[in-house]
Amino acid sequence: MTRHRALSVATWILSRLAPKNERDPLVGDLIEEYALRSNAASSSAALRWYMKQVVTSAPLLLRVRLARAAWISTIGAALLAYIAVAVAELSVDWAISNWTAVGTFAYKPLGLIMLFPMVILIGYVAGRFRRRAPIVLGVMMLLVVTTMMLSTTESVPPWYGVAYFVVGPAAAFIGAALHSLRPARW
Amino acid sequence: MKTRDNPLGSLEHVVLLAVMRLGSDAYGMTVRREIESATGREISIGAVYATLVRLESKGLVKSYTGEPTAERGGRAKRHFSLTADGKGALRTTHEVLRKMSAGLKGLQPT
Repeated sequence: MTRHRALSVATWILSRLAPKNERDPLVGDLIEEYALRSNAASSSAALRWYMKQVVTSAPLLLRVRLARAAWISTIGAALLAYIAVAVAELSVDWAISNWTAVGTFAYKPLGLIMLFPMVILIGYVAGRFRRRAPIVLGVMMLLVVTTMMLSTTESVPPWYGVAYFVVGPAAAFIGAALHSLRPARW
Repeated sequence: MKTRDNPLGSLEHVVLLAVMRLGSDAYGMTVRREIESATGREISIGAVYATLVRLESKGLVKSYTGEPTAERGGRAKRHFSLTADGKGALRTTHEVLRKMSAGLKGLQPT
């Protein structure tokens, strides 16, 4: 690969990764410094410097770009939190069915009581990554629970239906509230 | 708590100081050079821009785009300058550092 081709490819990669507003000034800065270094030292040293700048800058610029697409990372954090809630719920079901020697999880309040603080914690942790993630998590849980309630053919005790509808989303919203109350970070 | 009342992260602090030192000549590459020459530490242009973008979103710096020039491949510079909140954040950080280091022995330049 020729020097010019290598520069073009590296610049193209960097400009694709950089946020739109920073693309032109950033590439212009690199070209300006490359020209200065080519004149002051050797072209190959300047090319090495240029490549090093591209390699070390790429992940940082990609991070800025992803951080700007805030809704994507909020949905991503909420989805991960939802998976964590599902794992916690399965673990609670498994633990109750083993401890109580009941073959299946039979609408026990204990399950909901155990799950409640777990979902608060998951909501709190999700809020550390994206501030609105626990709120999205709560809304997702409301939608899923509503769909499940409407589509189930099993006869679910009314108290359990109401509790199941309230506990998960409420816990997620409490997690969000707790996160917003914590002291400011440096 | 306002942003200007929060002490800055170490790279944010250094980048703000570089912008202040450079005045009207503060743009990505000059900020990078200023930091390298003052601290002796290599820093990538990506790290400088990522920090400047964060500082701008916090309202601590503002920017404007200059005219495109031929030596930059027809690309414009983006000039940065401190806002009043940026100066306030620097003062807060320096005050915290002064209080935390007051009375400590062994911090004087050798």
